[in-house]
This record gives sequence, C-alpha cells and structure tokens, in this order.
Amino acid sequence: MAAEDGQVIGCHTVDAWNEQLQRGNESKKLMVIDFAASWCGPCRVIAPFLAELARKFPEVIFLKVDVDELKTVAQDWAVEAMPTFMFLKEGTIVDKVVGARKEELQQAIAKHTTPAAATASA
Amino acid sequence: MAMSGFEGFEKRLELHFFGDDPVMMDNNLGLRLLDFESLEQVLNAVQCTVVSAVANQYFDAYVLSESSLFVYPTKIIIKTCGTTQLLKSIRPLIHYACNLGLTLCSCRYTRGSFIFPKAQPFPHTSFKEEVLYLEDTLPTNLCYRKASVMPSKITTHSWHVFTASDQSHIIPNDHDIYTIEVCMTELDRALARKFFLPPGDGSRSGDIAGKEMTKVTGISDINPRAMICDFAFDPCGYSMNGIHNDRYSTIHVTPEDGFSYASYECVGSIFDDDIEHFIGSLRKAVQVFRPATLSVSTTCASHEVWPRVAHALEPLGLKCRSCAADEFPAAGSIVFQTFTARRK
Repeated sequence: MAAEDGQVIGCHTVDAWNEQLQRGNESKKLMVIDFAASWCGPCRVIAPFLAELARKFPEVIFLKVDVDELKTVAQDWAVEAMPTFMFLKEGTIVDKVVGARKEELQQAIAKHTTPAAATASA
Repeated sequence: MAMSGFEGFEKRLELHFFGDDPVMMDNNLGLRLLDFESLEQVLNAVQCTVVSAVANQYFDAYVLSESSLFVYPTKIIIKTCGTTQLLKSIRPLIHYACNLGLTLCSCRYTRGSFIFPKAQPFPHTSFKEEVLYLEDTLPTNLCYRKASVMPSKITTHSWHVFTASDQSHIIPNDHDIYTIEVCMTELDRALARKFFLPPGDGSRSGDIAGKEMTKVTGISDINPRAMICDFAFDPCGYSMNGIHNDRYSTIHVTPEDGFSYASYECVGSIFDDDIEHFIGSLRKAVQVFRPATLSVSTTCASHEVWPRVAHALEPLGLKCRSCAADEFPAAGSIVFQTFTARRK
C-alpha cells in the first residue's frame, strides 16, 4: 500500500476496483475517484493536476476508472459527464465534482481532509 | 486615442471536416483525439487558454480565458472575445486535423460589430481585412465562398458573415440543426452587477464563484437538463458552457458599465419534440440580462426557427426593429434580427 501513496491508482478490472474500494473503505481515508475516458479531452487536461494533488495529499486515496474499461462501474455510479470526481468516505459519497475544475477539486479535497470541516459537513 | 474597454463581442468560427478512413470515422472520435499540446498551440495562436472543461460521449466543451471551444469528432466551434486573433487558429487546426486524416470541407465565420474596433489587432482590424485573411488561409477546395455584412436599423449592430464550402458540402449535411447567436448590449445595471466578484474575496474566484453566479443569476434555470461548466473572472465577467447530449449552449458576460455585453448561443434541431422549449430558453436567457438592445442571428437550412424568435422576445417588451435574411454556402440561411426595449 505504501508504494501507492502519492499516486493515482488505475483500476483496470472490476476485481481490482472492488478490492481498492474495500481497502479504501476499511482504511476510513478519503477516496477520490476519477471517472475518465481516453477520448475525453478535458480528462487529459486535468490528469497532470490530479497527479500533483495525489503527491500533495498522500493521506487521500486517488483511484482512476476508465469508463470504457469498467462500463458497469461507470453505469452503477451514474457517470454521464467527464471527468467526474466522486468523493468517498467509509462507503458514503460525500461530494462530487464534474468537469476539469481545478479550484473546485482542490477545495473539495481540502474540505474533506480538514477534521473540523469534515465533521461539520457530515 | 480614446480609452478602450473590454471588447465583449465575440468572433465565432465553425469548421467542418470529413475523413476518408472508415476505421477513423467508425470509432467516431476524430478531432477529439487531438492531444492537449496541439490544442494549446492552437489556443496560443489565438491568445487564450483553457480555464475549465467538461465532456460527454458526444463532444468536449472548454471554457476559455476568452470565451469557448467545442470539439466534436468532425466539427470545431471556437468563439473568442476581447482582442484575440481567432482566425489565426485556422492554419494550425487544418494541420492537426490533417494528421488525424481529416480534411476541411466547410468554414463559417461570424461576428457582430465591435464596440472598440480600433483596439482589434490584425487580422481583425476590419471585416475587409478578415475576409482577405480567410480567402488567403483557406484551402482552394473550399471554392464556394461568400462574405456579407447584414445591416440593421441600429447602427451599433450589424452581422458579419463569411462562409466557404467545398463542392460536396454546399448544402449542410446536418440540415435540421439550427444555431442561435444572441448579442445583448446595455444590460440592466442591477443584473449586470451580479457578475462582479465581491470585493476582497480572492478566495472564491474562478470555478467556485462561477458556480454561485450560475445559480444566483438564474442561468441554471435556462435549460435545467444541461450540465453546466462555468467560470467567474476577477474582478468581473463570467462564462459558461451547457452540455446536453450532443447540444451545447454558451453564455459570456462583460458586465462593466458603459460597454456592458452578454451573449447567449445555443444549438437545436427542428426535429426536437419541443420547439417550445427553445422559445422558453431564449426568453429566460434574455431575462437574465434585460438588455436595452439585442440582436439575434439564426442559422438554419430551413425557415422554421427564426419567426419564433420575435414570438419569444416580444412578451418581454422587446420590439423587433429590423430583419435581414441571406443565403450562404454550407450554412443555409442566416436571418439577422434586432430588438430594442420599448420605452416605458
């Protein structure tokens, strides 16, 4: 697990996805899931920024799902526009950012990693 | 020289491409495969940058530092305001599209009348200069060309149109699609003030403040079905793209007193179930700004849409002052109407 800290972890199979999800939920850490597609221009725009955020917030788990690779997952999570970032804590969706929106993304992460703010929003 | 304010009036360019490679066309990605570095090069030439973006299965929508960019598999729409050099995007776009196996088959350039024409750089110093540049830049296969300035009874509003097409795309393929371009000036002052950031509130600029403006101003109600990507500029100004299936809508606001301007653009199909929805959206968009003067340009292969524009706007106390129509290769007919608020 330690080797993956500070990185965006790509989930390429449903099994890998379920495993990461379960691990993340058990760890009680904030998870940020990036639903993206290879053909989505805005996803390419935000990718370097997301990698930067992953380095900046090692206490947050960053996962990436390709909506074509894991179609059923994208459907289950009702992803329509891309990129969609789902914020998850102990199995509950606590926030959602749609689009390549740097500030909103950064602020949402800050909000859910600050203990006081997290409690207030819970 | 007189002090110049920010030029709200956009220049708009729509380029259509076609590809011979069936594999390429089958995956239906085309121009969406343009890497970001190429896109950045194009935007550099124009002198603007991406500030926010979103996509769906049909197209990519970018909010730019100066307006908007939409990328479809075989179509690009780029709209920029201020003193950007929009036409300089054509050469690099043709080049990058060619690398993807795509060839330019039609081009449409439109704009209103600049508020500060003297502030415009080459090749936008005059419409004549723009047309010369277009004539020079476009490949020779786009041999059907037409340039026209559509007049109105309001001297500050006229509509500049240039279209070009190759042999096989003179009649638009997507003949059911219409585009509405609305240019509003002399915005209601109280409403325009909503597009300024609160002073000293640096923490909420950008996309977070944009989201608030979308809500507070009623822009979110224009088409509740659309996903909105928005951005607020510091100290004032606002841009948004709405995406819904394969359709986009876009709004840009320059709220400063003296040269206030807002634009609303949307696309639709004459086969849409509820054309009433179009009337409702247009009416709501104009209500957000309550301009003293506005122009509406309707581009469509058929004449089903433009008569409904007056029907949408007259209940708001706006009176139609002029209506001009003309036919263009690759675009179909363009109808340019102007409206002013009735004196109370």
